[in-house]
Amino acid sequence: MESQQLTTLTGVIDKKMNRQLKQYMDICARCAICKDACHQYVGTGDFKYLPARRAELIRQIYKKYFTKAGEFVPALYEARDPDENLLEELYESTYACTGCRRCMYYCPFSIDTAWILSVAKSILIAAGMGNEMLGQLADAAIFKGDNAEMFEDVMISGFKEIEEEVRQITGNPEAQVPVGKQGADVLYVALAGAHSIRPAAVIFEEAGENWTISMFEAANYGFFYGDAEKARLITKRYIDEAKRLGVKEIVVPECGHAYRVAEFFYEAWSKEPMPFKVSHILEKVDDYIKSGRITVDKGIIQGKVTYHDPCQLGRNGGKFEQPRDIVKAVTDNFVDLTPNREKQWCCGGGGGIVAMEEFTKTRLASGIKKVEQLKASGASVLACPCENCRLQIEELNDIHELGLEIWQVIDLVVAAMPLPGNKKAAE
Amino acid sequence: METYLYITAVIGVYVGFAVFIIGMGWRAYQWATTPKSPVKLGMFPKPKTRVGRFFKLMKDTFIAPQSASIEPRMWLFSFMFHFAALAAFVGHLRIIQEYPILPELLGEEGMNAFAGWAGGIAGVLMMVAVIYWIARRTFGPFKQLSVPEDYLLLALLFGVIIMGNHMRFFGHGVHAETYRAWFQSLLAFRPMLPSELVYSNVGWSLGTHMLFTDLLFIYFPFSKLVHTIGAFSANLVRSE
Repeated sequence: MESQQLTTLTGVIDKKMNRQLKQYMDICARCAICKDACHQYVGTGDFKYLPARRAELIRQIYKKYFTKAGEFVPALYEARDPDENLLEELYESTYACTGCRRCMYYCPFSIDTAWILSVAKSILIAAGMGNEMLGQLADAAIFKGDNAEMFEDVMISGFKEIEEEVRQITGNPEAQVPVGKQGADVLYVALAGAHSIRPAAVIFEEAGENWTISMFEAANYGFFYGDAEKARLITKRYIDEAKRLGVKEIVVPECGHAYRVAEFFYEAWSKEPMPFKVSHILEKVDDYIKSGRITVDKGIIQGKVTYHDPCQLGRNGGKFEQPRDIVKAVTDNFVDLTPNREKQWCCGGGGGIVAMEEFTKTRLASGIKKVEQLKASGASVLACPCENCRLQIEELNDIHELGLEIWQVIDLVVAAMPLPGNKKAAE
Repeated sequence: METYLYITAVIGVYVGFAVFIIGMGWRAYQWATTPKSPVKLGMFPKPKTRVGRFFKLMKDTFIAPQSASIEPRMWLFSFMFHFAALAAFVGHLRIIQEYPILPELLGEEGMNAFAGWAGGIAGVLMMVAVIYWIARRTFGPFKQLSVPEDYLLLALLFGVIIMGNHMRFFGHGVHAETYRAWFQSLLAFRPMLPSELVYSNVGWSLGTHMLFTDLLFIYFPFSKLVHTIGAFSANLVRSE
């Protein structure tokens, strides 16, 4: 292969090299215990989706260019150049990966395949093979950050519309969706679309929270795309905003990766300590319920309710109990999926895969474990925080005719709150 | 026979040992001097205290309960192999220095009989595990995932074990004492091969046992077997 391209691609590995990556490259025994941990491999039976195989492609380059043994006897390790064949398979297996890290959970050496694939994404981007859709979405978000004033009017009029709805639901003519409020305690960084703002606003207003809404979204396609710099710039939009407003706390929406980005990645990308407390909205809501700042009634939500742990929120974010406690506060008829919490199956919709049409077939096939779990639970209502999970499970729900009602957790909460707007909706 | 043994059971031991120690040291040095990942890669639930993290690390490394839950059969054979290998290692220490207490309790013959049973069981368990691993790599995704390194290591292990078993089961009359004379001479850098060993029916199997052992030790630091030390820090990252 061309020497310049080779230098670039091996240079990427060199730049990304750290102790964990090096160890993961050196110690994998190819025991393939990870095989049955991966929803995509289990759902499709396609070898390229076997977690150890995904990592093996990077290992083949590593062995050849970063180890003496692989340099002298490449055949022993099947070490090879990052040529077209390798990059094509790498593209398929890397961008399909939802980053759920279930393989890491079961690996006897805790090898983080998703971390290896973050290096794979850097290689693909350097080779001009980054996923276009994710790249465009990331660039659009950065553009919005650089030209915020262009979007201000339309954003504010959108917030005003939501404010009207919040007033109707709460029956409080003073209720607000505060924009750019100096001295607010909480900056809520929502997703694009009223659905992630309206219920949150109802809850914040009812809890008497001193809050304000961000002009930016918490979703981070730079993270999915695999470009740490883009991901940093996208996150920085609301970090700067929070600094400007002088808030104490950033609250991210139900979205799983947004929480992980703010809580675990931003410090490493920006090389500065996160100046704010980062909370997930369900932590806040759980706290409001337990401290009596909001009231929820049981019995409004009908049917057996179950809960899906989004991987980035559960296994990778550590929020197992708060969302469950919220769901249990609105119903006595709760059933957990099996397995659950850290062993929870990935729904198949994470890692930005729902935005990439080329992976639709893989994505839907990989949902089979989730479908089995949902069927076995006998539940008729699913509380599902992460937006990507919800899009995936809604599609699975239609295809497999599961007949599930699928709710955001904050929507469940608002529905269970004794509010005049809810009564009107019920009449 | 003497030349063969001189190469594998004298020179080979020195070379194998030196390559192993220097290679593993170099590998550990490389890991230690490469900066840690800037992102914390731990997963939940994670222990909150240092002691908790330590115990989780030990549990994950020595018992791997998660792996056991997802593929019990593979776990069983792997656990069996590692446990038997540890037992075999401990048993081999007898050729450096006789154990205290135990021989006094059992008497010399009793001790040899005990070593025969214990070593025999460990050798058979290891052999069964390695055969399972080889068989597992002959089909489906396991075969597709395997690279020559995997088969080479299994072949070397198989050679070491089967020759060890041959000595154990057919080396009548050759006991630890004889092997100790040979091994202590190596430690004293005055290598000597006892003639009752060289010209016994297990002379050639010792030579071949050592041939495979030497090769395994030489290849060890350049292979995936570095997981013997790497697994600890990789598993620790899980709790960070």
